[in-house]
Amino acid sequence: MTGLRKRVTVGFLSIVCLLFFSGMVSFLELSHLSRDTGDILEANQRNISLAKQMLDAAHEQNVALIHLSVFGDQSYDSLCRACMTRLENTLLVAQQEAVDKSFLDSLAFATTDLRLLVDSYLAFGENEHDANAPEAGSKWYNNEYEALHTRVTSAIKAYMTSTQSSLAPRADQMRKNAYRAVTPVLISLVVMIAIVLMLYYFMSIYCVHPIVRMNKGLDDFLTFHIPFAVKGQLKDEVLELKERIDTLISMTKQPKF
Amino acid sequence: MRLDVVLRYIGVVMLFIATFMLLSAGISYFNGMDSAFYPLLLSALLTTLLGIFPLIFVERQEQLTTKEGFCIVVGAWLLACVVGSFPYLIWGGEFSVINAWFESVSGFTTTGATVLNDIESLPRGMLFWRMSTTWIGGIGVVMFALVILPSMGRNKLTLTNVELSTLAKDNYRYRTQVIVRILLAVYVGLMIISMLLLKLAGMNWFDALCHAMSVCATSGFSTKNASIAYFNSPAIDWVLIFSMMMAGVHFGLIFATVTGKRNNLFRSEVARWYFGMLLLGGLLITVSVFAADLYPTFFTAFRGGLFQFVSLMTTTGFATADTNQWTSFAIVILLFGSLVCACAGSTTGGLKINRLILSLKMIRARLSQQQHPNAIIRIRLDGAIQDTESLHSVTVFIVTYLLLILVGTVFGTMLGIDLMTSFSGSIASIGNVGPGFGEVGSMNNFSALPAAFKLSNSLLMLFGRLEIFGLIQLFFIKWWR
Repeated sequence: MTGLRKRVTVGFLSIVCLLFFSGMVSFLELSHLSRDTGDILEANQRNISLAKQMLDAAHEQNVALIHLSVFGDQSYDSLCRACMTRLENTLLVAQQEAVDKSFLDSLAFATTDLRLLVDSYLAFGENEHDANAPEAGSKWYNNEYEALHTRVTSAIKAYMTSTQSSLAPRADQMRKNAYRAVTPVLISLVVMIAIVLMLYYFMSIYCVHPIVRMNKGLDDFLTFHIPFAVKGQLKDEVLELKERIDTLISMTKQPKF
Repeated sequence: MRLDVVLRYIGVVMLFIATFMLLSAGISYFNGMDSAFYPLLLSALLTTLLGIFPLIFVERQEQLTTKEGFCIVVGAWLLACVVGSFPYLIWGGEFSVINAWFESVSGFTTTGATVLNDIESLPRGMLFWRMSTTWIGGIGVVMFALVILPSMGRNKLTLTNVELSTLAKDNYRYRTQVIVRILLAVYVGLMIISMLLLKLAGMNWFDALCHAMSVCATSGFSTKNASIAYFNSPAIDWVLIFSMMMAGVHFGLIFATVTGKRNNLFRSEVARWYFGMLLLGGLLITVSVFAADLYPTFFTAFRGGLFQFVSLMTTTGFATADTNQWTSFAIVILLFGSLVCACAGSTTGGLKINRLILSLKMIRARLSQQQHPNAIIRIRLDGAIQDTESLHSVTVFIVTYLLLILVGTVFGTMLGIDLMTSFSGSIASIGNVGPGFGEVGSMNNFSALPAAFKLSNSLLMLFGRLEIFGLIQLFFIKWWR
């Protein structure tokens, strides 16, 4: 490739490179953003699901204990134990998955207290429950269990809301990242505009203007017989063209034999 | 004016900057590919494209006009500030568009003012890039590019005429090509010596390199939030006092002294004034802060007072103490130091001590002239008689300088910023000093200030770095003949 063609090719290749580069950066940044969004949504969904399971287990245990303690229905004994185990297992899963485990501390303490209370009641119930029922059971439920149950459910709700609050900074960070994601693209576009302007300028001064001047010079020569003289800095193929026109004109001036 | 030729030489400067971006990316890579790697690499790529494009189209030129030389210098400086903000913008963190621009301008003008609250959270690659901007700025974007420009002769002369202040240029008694080599040799030599001394004083290699880059550019960028106070080391303080003092001396004088020339540091009138003022200012502050019981012993007060005065007068801006807590007298002396600054022909900004000496001599000459109306009184500086044009330009420069400070202060107060912050911020910006007082004190930064104030101060930094008229002329380039 010679001068002019080489320069034009390099100019356009630069623009193509920048376009490709901008596209790739956009793609990568948007993929990153999409992944972050997915992560937040998944974490959000998982948190709600775990909290629901724990609330369900606590509620079912509450119902089972009402039947057991107030109405003296011993068939709810196994359900009560199963609910307690479900609550603990779900809490364990939540603890394993949580990024910040401090949100689960109060819930873990409350669940442990609940386990001790329920276990002691069930153990006591197996031996002496019948003799004191239903007054003793009802009293136990109102004085001891209900408050602890409320503490557990409040801790579950706190876990749910606090985890949601902990997602807020991540979401805010993501909002900022969305702005950051387009920054490289914007910068690339600014650079591209600068390159396009430079290309336009260089093409004008090295290619378009000389050709216009040559055209005018030739027109002047043909119309008014003004000598062909193109001023300005010429180079590359444009200079070759000008020299060939000069040669051609000098050939036409030579007498024909 | 040939715009294509101007673009070509600006392109060369851009390639230099891209090289430093790549170097910073390399540091980032070897530092476990930290978060700065990707932004630095992208910025290097974009800057390379921007720089290489005019080089492909425009052929090398042997001759440049003064107007072209001027446009190359100012254009390169402005564009350097723009591309210098790319890594910051892409990296994110505390860098908004305004903050990134401010930090970049502050770096390339060697001001050293920052908008960052947590500098230590920056990855090493970004810290190195921050120091690179200031290092490139120190030697002068164009001055730096001149060394590798293959063309010789008048090109260099034209660019150097614009780059160096008239006072600085007069003091170099060498050819232009030699000036470039001297400047680089002294600059790099000073950096290496400072780095080794700082390492010996207890810094790690990275911090020693960064602070050496910063000190020889008289910038004041640090790798720590608490600046030099973080190290709490007398040895580091003394090494930096020495390095800052030397960085504020005319580089030609340092070269002449090292090479045993006659026109050396010990015979220079300007150097005598400079060191005398540093010592006097340091002592006055020491007495003031010691009397106010801010330091336990006179020696620690002297170390703190001298460090802070040298730091501000050499336009470096390092800090070992919160000067907002100092006495009013000490603050006034520090403000005076920030206004006068160091010698012409160094990397410092400000009014320059040469102009102060000439002003004082002009006042004395004026008094003598009134007493002896027919006397012919000549004003000399370092033995050389100063012509009327030089003296006139000194007066005009000082007046314009003070006017710009006034404009900056008025603008700041208009935005609701207190007087001390606006005034000292404007002095610190136009003098390329860095820290001021009030909200922009030695232990604070510009982050909390309005965006408009950051922009106006970045403009003042550019005015200061380009010796005011360098930037003003850009707006009147069309009328140049």
